[in-house]
Amino acid sequence: MIILDTKGEAHGERHGFSEQQEPPLFGATAIVSAAALKERFAPTDTDSLPHTGVSLTVDDDLSDMAGYFPYLAMVELVFSQFKDGRPFSTAVVLRRDFEFKGAILAAGDFLPDQALFLLRAGFSAFVVPEQFTAKQFKSALLAYSVAYQPGLGGTPDLVKTLRDPATAVAAG
Amino acid sequence: MYTYDTLDKALLNQRVAEFREQVKRRIAGDLTEDQFKPLRLMNGLYLQTHAYMLRVAVPYGTLSSDQMRKFAYIARTYDRGYGHFTTRQNIQFNWIELGSTPDILYDLSEVDLHAIQTSGNCIRNVTADPFAGAAADELDDPRIWSEIIRQWSTLHPEFSFLPRKFKIAVTGADADRAAIKFHDIGLKIVRNDAGDLGFQVFVGGGQGRTPFVAPLIRPFLPAKDILRYLDAALRVYNQHGRRDNIYKARIKILVDSLGADQFSLDVEHEFEKLDPVLLAVNEKEVERIRDMFALPYLRPDTDAQAGLEEAMEQSNPLRRWCETNTEVHKVPGYAIATVSLKPVGGIPGDATADQMDTVADLADRYSLGEIRVTYTQNLVLPHVRVADLPLLWAALDQISLATANAGLVTDIIACPGLDYCTLANARSIPLAQRISERFADLDAQHNIGPLDIRISGCINACGHHHAGHIGILGVDKKGVELYQLTLGGQGNRDSAIGKILGPGFDEDGIIGAVENVIATYLNMRTIGETFSETLQRTGHSPFKERLYDHP
Repeated sequence: MIILDTKGEAHGERHGFSEQQEPPLFGATAIVSAAALKERFAPTDTDSLPHTGVSLTVDDDLSDMAGYFPYLAMVELVFSQFKDGRPFSTAVVLRRDFEFKGAILAAGDFLPDQALFLLRAGFSAFVVPEQFTAKQFKSALLAYSVAYQPGLGGTPDLVKTLRDPATAVAAG
Repeated sequence: MYTYDTLDKALLNQRVAEFREQVKRRIAGDLTEDQFKPLRLMNGLYLQTHAYMLRVAVPYGTLSSDQMRKFAYIARTYDRGYGHFTTRQNIQFNWIELGSTPDILYDLSEVDLHAIQTSGNCIRNVTADPFAGAAADELDDPRIWSEIIRQWSTLHPEFSFLPRKFKIAVTGADADRAAIKFHDIGLKIVRNDAGDLGFQVFVGGGQGRTPFVAPLIRPFLPAKDILRYLDAALRVYNQHGRRDNIYKARIKILVDSLGADQFSLDVEHEFEKLDPVLLAVNEKEVERIRDMFALPYLRPDTDAQAGLEEAMEQSNPLRRWCETNTEVHKVPGYAIATVSLKPVGGIPGDATADQMDTVADLADRYSLGEIRVTYTQNLVLPHVRVADLPLLWAALDQISLATANAGLVTDIIACPGLDYCTLANARSIPLAQRISERFADLDAQHNIGPLDIRISGCINACGHHHAGHIGILGVDKKGVELYQLTLGGQGNRDSAIGKILGPGFDEDGIIGAVENVIATYLNMRTIGETFSETLQRTGHSPFKERLYDHP
């Protein structure tokens, strides 16, 4: 399935939830589950972790993986269903509490209508779900040019704070 | 009043365009109903028993006369000539076609109105004291803070797919006319010992099948930190609220299971992690909004009351209306006038398009063009010269909106019930109409005094029966509509949940039961004692005995 980045441009493909990535995806040659990450790697394995990504479900606990995040290449957050908004907060916490600088990829069940929310919550890219097209997602990314809240990433053209004169842009 | 600037308008226009596309995709089959449902709900569009229903926000209960005229236009053009004002300061149009909704939203946007987040598992329309900006007992205007929260919560990227709906209410007065303790978050504006403005924060209130009065979570939150604190509370809820059972998914269940103290600690922990600058409320923004809500200079008129007394000497109906439907304004010589949407035998909260237009005209003539919507499903003209009250009353009487029953037994809150709602077990509206007709006599109503009757057609409690002095809950028992009676609820500063009195009654029986409860009160009350005061003094037993032991 095609991956779109923050600008709606194609950024490789994701085949199901396969572990091996060829070519590497956001620097990761393998994307493993939370259990596999903790089983196979130590947080001190700074040789392997920069080439590794982790795929997290909505029930995985970030706190017992804190030591890994400074080194991981990327994190995939899997939406179990589009109505379950936990991954939005997970992305925010990853960026803020764990200062995760790598790519955050959204996968699983979500709608084109949530694409802007994903990017503004700190996701870097998303795997277009099978029943939708890249065109629908690209169109959804253009739905808004303004927002009231500070965004975490990917939307430099949106107002960052509630009418903060330093960051506000003219509404179109 | 707040008026939209280019940013607000741009966002609103883009929202209308987005929804137009969503409807197009649904009609073309590109979205399944399951996928479309949360999207339409976030635009206030429900599929009810007979048709789509569109719920439009009246932000913090404040409307301009032009906005009210737009409601009248929508009612005439797209509905059946009326609208229904709800307990959350919204208006509902019950006979809407899906294909018309983008046009309706466009029409509404012309006067800065919308249906954004009036439903769905997101932060709903922020509600506030309907007397805001006019009440003599107000510390600060809650609409300023409600507007800031409205902006922050609108299309929030992180908090639009919460475990369940999320309702916030704000009051600036001790009296609490917004029932804040029955909300997911209730905010009361206070000052600390140093004189700084801030909030008492109550979290985890609500009605439904598991009612709670919200506990106090933060005794004093500096005003500038309000968004930072809300952000923290919402994140704790989004991450830890239950998603496995719709009936356990509200924040009240999380607060109850963790305990208020632990929940408070969790929020404080999250609060400390948040950048205090990034989410600090911008002082200039507060002042910009404050200026828009500022009351224009009104010349005090200390002689006006004497003139009104003379008019009331000539008209007992006017006197009764002034006694029940007007409140003290912060400026001497002005009054806050409640326009009752509870005529005898009427449907609580309904207004025709013609009535809406006339109320808009009266607001222009007598109330600086402002109208309020109350959670008790009435309208308010907030800035009326006392000298104009007789004229206003006469004009309202011409359109059947001068019923002198605000806060009395026929000022009934009722949900739409089985007549419209797919969730309901029993009818609410016909019951409200029958009770209204039974107690139609105004002398009798005034003799009974302050008394809230609230009716819900199912356990979701949209008719706020838990918070009624007398609460009526419709239940389905083996295919038969029955009504349970609760006594002792309150939706004010002393919020309380009513207690079930005993087995339910059929429709005829519940009317008789209400009569008996009121008769019991009248027999037992001491001079000047209200229904609530008598109930508190005597407890439920005398009422129970009368209903079940000696009917």
